[in-house]
Amino acid sequence: MKIVVCLKQVPHSDARLDINGDGTWIQEDNLKFEINSYDTYALEEALRIKDAGEAEVVVVSIGPDRVTQALRTALGMGADRAVHVNDSAVEGSDALGIAKVLAAIVKAESPDLVVTGLMSDDGNFSAVPPMIAELCDMPSATSVLKVDGANGSLTVERELEGGAMEVVELPKPCLLAVQTGLNQVRYASLKGIMAAKKKPIDVKTAADLGVGDQVGAGAAKVRMEKVYQPPKGEGAELLEGSTDDVVGSLMNKVKELGLL
Amino acid sequence: MIEWSEQHQMIRDVVQRFIREEVVPHLEDLEHGDLPPYDILRKMFATFGMSELARQRFDRQVAKAEQAEAGEIPKEEARKREGDGTGDGAAMQLIPIIELCRYCPGMVTALGVSTGLTGAAVMGKGTVAQKKRWGLDLLTLDKIGAWAITEPGSGSDAFGGMKSSARREGDEFVLNGSKTFITNGPYADTIVFICKLDEPGVDSRDRKILHFVLEKGMPGLTQSKPMKKMGLHSSPTGELFLQDVRVGMDRLLGEEKALESKAGEGRQASKATFQMERSGVAAMALGIVERCLELSVKYAKERVQWDQPIGEYQLIQEKLARMEVARMNLQNLVFRTVELSAQGKSMSFGEASAMKLYAARAAVEVAMEAVQVYGGNGYMAEYHVEQLARDAKVLQIYAGTDEIQIRAIARDLLA
Repeated sequence: MKIVVCLKQVPHSDARLDINGDGTWIQEDNLKFEINSYDTYALEEALRIKDAGEAEVVVVSIGPDRVTQALRTALGMGADRAVHVNDSAVEGSDALGIAKVLAAIVKAESPDLVVTGLMSDDGNFSAVPPMIAELCDMPSATSVLKVDGANGSLTVERELEGGAMEVVELPKPCLLAVQTGLNQVRYASLKGIMAAKKKPIDVKTAADLGVGDQVGAGAAKVRMEKVYQPPKGEGAELLEGSTDDVVGSLMNKVKELGLL
Repeated sequence: MIEWSEQHQMIRDVVQRFIREEVVPHLEDLEHGDLPPYDILRKMFATFGMSELARQRFDRQVAKAEQAEAGEIPKEEARKREGDGTGDGAAMQLIPIIELCRYCPGMVTALGVSTGLTGAAVMGKGTVAQKKRWGLDLLTLDKIGAWAITEPGSGSDAFGGMKSSARREGDEFVLNGSKTFITNGPYADTIVFICKLDEPGVDSRDRKILHFVLEKGMPGLTQSKPMKKMGLHSSPTGELFLQDVRVGMDRLLGEEKALESKAGEGRQASKATFQMERSGVAAMALGIVERCLELSVKYAKERVQWDQPIGEYQLIQEKLARMEVARMNLQNLVFRTVELSAQGKSMSFGEASAMKLYAARAAVEVAMEAVQVYGGNGYMAEYHVEQLARDAKVLQIYAGTDEIQIRAIARDLLA
């Protein structure tokens, strides 16, 4: 069995984010990065399938040199090898451009299963995983919270609105976009991190993958217009006095506004 | 070495995640409650495969010691430190120290005394049988160790003023004495008890120093409850009382050979332990300083007085700049430790003492200045710099006070 896991490297959750000079994205210089939290659950799920039987786990990511660290971390956790698309031509791609690059790798690898995170911590689009599935003509399930393997097919539980769950069965090969919390993500062991040094990372360009003309800002149909901090709102009223007074005033306000 | 390698950075990241998820949520109980640090430390060992690495190191050491006992290789060869060429071994030990000290220096003290001092004492002085009997469990943290040298009447003059004694009675020794400020003392499973051989007619200062291995629950051994202290609350400290504890030769580290040694040899052997301890303090100080600097910079940007962030004021900038200088110096000292280890070398005693003196003073100065940057908030327990300032102070006292370090440096220079 072969499993491809798509990882994105995103700014660290503790990082202070400043908007860049032309207001089109955040300032990335000197920023600390980490693996997108959703993708860590995807990787963990793949590693669990590997632990339970025979499987090769291939991690895939797109981005500049810094992305190597995310891939090495995944290799340290137990992935077998990595593919790194390190190509400035991919910069400025929209979700479809990214999906085309990843789909090209998936097609080349022809895995039994593709696992991704449901969305990225920085972009929050949730667009790339279903696009990969569509481009590779494979069934997919999003917001996955449980995976059970059976002969040739997978039974997964999806999280719906209002806490409801949906159970679907997918034939392999298929793509799962997982929700956070479906497992407990492991730590890379010190030995694993040291062993990761020797595991292969295959570096590719968009041209190598045959999608050189379909990626980058030129091919993008969606363009980032502006990133900005919303202006601070006005009209906030601070309630003062003892706890009882504050609670009383708050209740009156809620009633006045017809919220109760 | 000028910076952490990619692998080292990955280790830092993964250890940081462990601390965020497993240590920080328990910080309140560790600092202000009665939660001993051992379960979390054991979880850390299990999570990162540190027990397995310790076991592999142990196997290599024992194999060499067995060869030396069989006369196949010279004894010095068995004791020789081997460089790994990369310093990865040292880095893997120092990085968790640095990261833990950013939040909880007491945990490092508890860990370091158990594996570093107690484990190393057994591995350094014990026979092959003794290493196997106690060493492995200490190195893997399966057993918690305490290294008992300080007494109510002897601190810096540890050997001179030592009153704890071992009286020989036939094949046995009868141990008496009391020890204080013993890290892990209240909970230790395995204790290395340092005392003097009762040698009638020999001046107290010239008596042989012996190391015995004791275990929790032995008749005549009492382990006190944790003592209250200024800082380092996550590291349980206690007293030990020995009243006619009877032990056989099998519990004397080195067995008969320890009795044949000359009076000064026991002291020399302990010095090697002090040296290792002093190197660890630089990594501890680095963790404290990094965290204090990070918090101070953040606060200087956020705290507004007279309509501008306090970081705009030169008096605050001076504090931040001094903190950064200390951080860079400590970082370089830690890199030097890693580099020396890669080459199988170690610092001279004077150099290790100088490093410890600088590191301890830098940690205290930076932590106190961080409290100052935070002002009234810094004095409140809610803000972390308060704990780090209390914790840092011990670095100037344990593992040799500043004054003892100065003496060691001067002796080295003037020798």
